[in-house]
Amino acid sequence: MNFEEIKYKVINNIRIKPEEGLFLLQKAPILELGELAAFVREVKNPSPYVTFVVDTNPNYTNICTIDCIFCAFYRHPGEEGEYTYSVDELIQKFRESAAMGVTTILLQGGVNPNLSLDYYIELVNRTTKELPDIHPHFFSVSEIVGMAEVSRLSIEEVLRKLWDAGLRTLPGGGAEILSNRIKKKISNKKETADQWLDVMRTAHKIGYKSTATMMYGHIEKDEDIIEHLESLRKLQDETGGFTAFIPWSFKPGNTPLEKIIPHYASSTRYLQIIALSRIYLDNFAHIQASWFSEGKKIGQIALHFGADDFGGTLLEENVHAAANYVSKTNTDEVINLIKEAGFIPAQRTTLYQIIKIFE
Amino acid sequence: MEILFRDKSLIPIWNKLLNGERLTFDDGLALFRTNDLISLGKMANWFSYQKSGDAVYFVLNRKIEHTNICVLSCKFCDFAKKKGEPGAYEMTTEEILSKLSSGIREVHITGAMPPDWKWERYLDIVQSINDKFPEIDIKAYTAVEIDFFHKKFKKSIEEILIELKNAGLKTMPGGGAEIFSERVRRLLFNQKIGEKSWLEIHKTAHRLGIPSNATMLYGHIETLEERVKHLIKLREAQDETGGFLTFIPLAFQPGDTGIKPKNNFTSAIDDLKTIAVSRLMLDNFPHIKAYWVMLTEEVAAIALNFGADDIDGTVGEEHIAHDAGAISPMKLAQDRIIKIIKEAGKIAVERDVFYNPLKIYGRNIIGKIPYLNSIPIYHNLKIDSYFTLPLFPHRLGEMMSNGYIDAGLISLVDYLNNKEKLNLSRWCLSSREKVQSVLLFSKYKLEELENKKIGITDETSTSVKLLKVILEKKYKINALFEEFHQPKISFQEFDAVLLIGDNALNKYKAQNPEFNYKFDLAEEWFQWQNLPFVFAVWVERKDLLPNLSDDIIKTVELNIQKNFDELSAIVKQYRFGVKLTDEEIIEYLKGFNYKIGDEELSAIRKFEELIRETK
Ligand code: SF4
Ligand code: SF4
Repeated sequence: MNFEEIKYKVINNIRIKPEEGLFLLQKAPILELGELAAFVREVKNPSPYVTFVVDTNPNYTNICTIDCIFCAFYRHPGEEGEYTYSVDELIQKFRESAAMGVTTILLQGGVNPNLSLDYYIELVNRTTKELPDIHPHFFSVSEIVGMAEVSRLSIEEVLRKLWDAGLRTLPGGGAEILSNRIKKKISNKKETADQWLDVMRTAHKIGYKSTATMMYGHIEKDEDIIEHLESLRKLQDETGGFTAFIPWSFKPGNTPLEKIIPHYASSTRYLQIIALSRIYLDNFAHIQASWFSEGKKIGQIALHFGADDFGGTLLEENVHAAANYVSKTNTDEVINLIKEAGFIPAQRTTLYQIIKIFE
Repeated sequence: MEILFRDKSLIPIWNKLLNGERLTFDDGLALFRTNDLISLGKMANWFSYQKSGDAVYFVLNRKIEHTNICVLSCKFCDFAKKKGEPGAYEMTTEEILSKLSSGIREVHITGAMPPDWKWERYLDIVQSINDKFPEIDIKAYTAVEIDFFHKKFKKSIEEILIELKNAGLKTMPGGGAEIFSERVRRLLFNQKIGEKSWLEIHKTAHRLGIPSNATMLYGHIETLEERVKHLIKLREAQDETGGFLTFIPLAFQPGDTGIKPKNNFTSAIDDLKTIAVSRLMLDNFPHIKAYWVMLTEEVAAIALNFGADDIDGTVGEEHIAHDAGAISPMKLAQDRIIKIIKEAGKIAVERDVFYNPLKIYGRNIIGKIPYLNSIPIYHNLKIDSYFTLPLFPHRLGEMMSNGYIDAGLISLVDYLNNKEKLNLSRWCLSSREKVQSVLLFSKYKLEELENKKIGITDETSTSVKLLKVILEKKYKINALFEEFHQPKISFQEFDAVLLIGDNALNKYKAQNPEFNYKFDLAEEWFQWQNLPFVFAVWVERKDLLPNLSDDIIKTVELNIQKNFDELSAIVKQYRFGVKLTDEEIIEYLKGFNYKIGDEELSAIRKFEELIRETK
């Protein structure tokens, strides 16, 4: 195996094998990998556009009983600082966001055993009825699994009820590294890798679309990253339900994992992962640069390493500030960042339809 | 290396690089304007590899700003305060000393220009650090400050620099260059010294044996044309003196300066392009620095593949390090830097202020002598999972005997001193008769050198030993030897001077009115011993695994053969910095023998005997 052979395959649109993916990750110089990924990006998406979505990213509760050791966000029930928003409060927030031009609400929270399935159903129902301009992009796999446990229904039944309430897409969080071995170590009480894939499979079969994520840079090995990508590629062959892949690096601040991993992965590693995923996930339409987790500057560079989407404008933090002014600046900044990187910004929907181009 | 150019206008520029041609103003502009970021990066990374191999340098350093009280009020400065203003401070020498500790290798001192400091106070800072921490190299005072001293204390630039040097100053920082454009200077930096004084001060420092850095402040109101011009002016100055060590592009940070550039911060794309274009335009600068404090750690990390071979150091450890308890911030910052370099696919080399390697973090390293005569061995040498590190022969020997380097061509004397650790392999760098690149330039004939002062390069010990053997044994002469550092511009103080490598080659070609005589040491040796002289030998560490050693030997063997077959095609790339035509380079290379045979072995034995007998 050598780089030239793999490059030949990629250029000729021949699927690469897991061991070839591993070779690229371990042996290919970063600019060789980036060049190849940029080539694939141009084949898959020949447009000069880099898309983004105007969205917010609120959290409805921080109560959680899963205790992932990489998480700095959750509180146990009854612990100081815990919160849960009522449906009314959330609808009010969403309404404010809609007024600012937000089209997508990416909503996630802890796995809160005190919330009944009705809470979730009502939330989706009211969002779709009362805010027709908002696309709800709600609930990661862990929360779906939590709902099934609390309501004693099957995953499929939960997903169908949410579908009937109007939910059409799911965020791809909670995947971490899709390896049962790794997930057991970092999120012992969460669904396993197989379960995560099963929930997504079930969702896609019902008609949902979703993204897929990966959080690397903790205790995983290169092989685990390849296993993750391979599992996603297989499931995508089966369902075609993934819209985009979004990797990000583990950030140790304030998490129990910090003691073992004092240094997070460098930005070079991030570009490697972006480029590798663009090459490996040959059946994914889009790769998203997560400027929110990796920084705006690295987000810009990632656009030259295979990413074709800049994610969301994530206005949440500013909703209660001088709302309108701030929100406009945020969207403008995203547009400017994309332009500076040498691409044409295009606003999209959650389902990646372009609705406005900023020449 | 193949590049899938998306911007075809870069292809002619790439061809120029492959032919060892210098890039023009228009080329620089085209590089800045391209949107083909990856191709630009690949070109710059390739060029950086030619200079520094896989190395990325860092230093354990500390930055000291001794005062922020300033008589000037530059528009863009949000650092300076007037005396008595809240926040104004001045550090005493004791305070400065208390910020330093052993373990640090370089201190970077700059400050504002207070109205009432005496000259002695500046000298005292340097002298006291030098006395208390002799292992900390001092890099101090930008050209702007030197100019201020010169005017305020009514001393010439030379006097100022000589006094600082005598107090312990090693190098000068590169700040204050801003952008070499009168237009911009008038608008933004009208209180600062202009390009003329800046360049003059640096060139003067170089002449006095004080190397320095250079900077460029970009991302404010300057045009791309002005950036390219800036780079070309630095390149010309470097042609004259060779005294610049590294170039540091500085991204403008608006802060509360009141200057509003187009965007709030330079884009990452602009940052990377600036690093890459600098690497390609400044073909005579040894190093390009990605100063992470300004670029952000994240962008600096990527810049290591876009032409930068230096990431500065632990300067602002409180920013880079993430506090995880027991480990010291310095150690943590160092670990972080090493991790970043490693993940960039490079080798982390801890350095001193002159870029001498102190420690190498990483394994599987082949050492390389950075002279033209080693091309037949090293051109395109790719040993699977091995990194390449070019070092001057003397340093290479040191690093090899410390176990940092697995194999490579090293100076013969270094091999002889470390025989118990090293295996002699099949290759060498030897020559019969003239070699052209180990030369003694002299005002006198060899037999007249008794008690004369000879300047000797610190790059290698073999040639120095050879010279001593020849003088003592062949001519029965006792001369006085004094070591000097390259780059050195004037050798006036010496009666004779020993040069090696590309420096010798270049001087060989040049007119040398100060020296009447020129002696080729290989020729001297041959006429005396009737044997070739072996300058360097390929060795491997004895504790290397046999299969690794086999891999290396096989790859090198094939590579030498291939390179000799294609010699006329490959020499073109190596024209940078060498004042020879292609034909002269080929002729020069063909004058060497690269295989160790019986004659070479006898020559090594003979030389070993002779050095044992000399003082
Ligand atoms: S399930 Fe989510 S909220 Fe709960 S601990 Fe894990 S990552 Fe944090
Ligand atoms: S000379 Fe330096 S410190 Fe003084 S005002 Fe100008 S930039 Fe600021």
